[in-house]
Amino acid sequence: MDHIEHLEHTESPANMKSQIWRTFWVLLALTLVDIVLYFVLLSSHSIAKNILFVFLGIVKAFYIVSVFMHMKFERKFLVWIIIAPMIFVCFLIWLALTEAGYTFGMRLF
Amino acid sequence: MANSATLTTDSKQTWGGGKSPFSVSYGKLMMWIFLLSDAFTFSSLLVAYGFVRFTFTGSLPNTVVKPFAHLSHNFVEEMQKAGLFVTERWPSPELVFNHFPFLHGIHLPLMFVSLMTFILIFSSVTMVLAVEAGHRMAKKEVENYMILTIIGGAAFLGCQAWEWTNFITEGASLSSNPFGPTAFAALFFIVTGFHGTHVLSGVILNIVIYLNVVNGTYEKRGHYEMVEKVGLYWHFVDLVWVFVFTFFYLI
Repeated sequence: MDHIEHLEHTESPANMKSQIWRTFWVLLALTLVDIVLYFVLLSSHSIAKNILFVFLGIVKAFYIVSVFMHMKFERKFLVWIIIAPMIFVCFLIWLALTEAGYTFGMRLF
Repeated sequence: MANSATLTTDSKQTWGGGKSPFSVSYGKLMMWIFLLSDAFTFSSLLVAYGFVRFTFTGSLPNTVVKPFAHLSHNFVEEMQKAGLFVTERWPSPELVFNHFPFLHGIHLPLMFVSLMTFILIFSSVTMVLAVEAGHRMAKKEVENYMILTIIGGAAFLGCQAWEWTNFITEGASLSSNPFGPTAFAALFFIVTGFHGTHVLSGVILNIVIYLNVVNGTYEKRGHYEMVEKVGLYWHFVDLVWVFVFTFFYLI
């Protein structure tokens, strides 16, 4: 033990292990919900169905980032540094899908 | 565990230097910044996929094959004749990714990719358990969980190789696609390939970390933070897969 480093970090709660397993079951359940919905809605193609699957994806992402990636326990400042720039992705999605609508029209006529 | 976060409300103390205002080490902060940039890269690829897909006519509802039905050996030609696989129309992922190993000739949409998703989620759990064991300085436990994580990653890569082989054997490539628009196959290979490259580098990093754990490098250092940093990367790869799974297979 000759090179012991000084290390700054935010503590994990005492029940971390049970939180990990709970998150695992949540993720497993959400994926199973995905699969069941997929087969139930197999023959329907609608925007509502797409939004539903994207929403479930975002919920899964939330659990992975907050518990597995420990973000729930980090300083608020760090959380916002990582989350806030995602607004640009939202902008890109809006921009791309709007433009895609016009391109679709050009393809048709 | 030597110096845990002490909550300071005094901003002079927070920004006065000599300590991290974020209460994380430099390396971990930089890993977060890297993951943010990587998230942008994957977002651009997925948005590109969304853009291209939106410019095509949507898939026709499939009234031809039901799940668990038997597939004829010239399934792709039949679908082309039925007008479900044409270049002007985006194919339904259900009809493209419908194979399962050892169950050849049965229409099983989503099954194989769900298995891949479970493998990746589970390897994420073993990774975070390795991190947790690292906090307790339990060397043996970290070793075991790292091994499980590496196996999970390798299993996922094997599954992806199988999926690619299937798709390529059926005639898909970056410049051709018997299922519909060429862009469908090109985007599939680019996005899953880029994700697969991330999984591969993750597995390599995990192996390096595992060897360091076995050699007692972190035991000597006094903390297992390297496991945490690589863990962040590994969870990110799992996170990206959630969206690849959603956009390429579910929708």
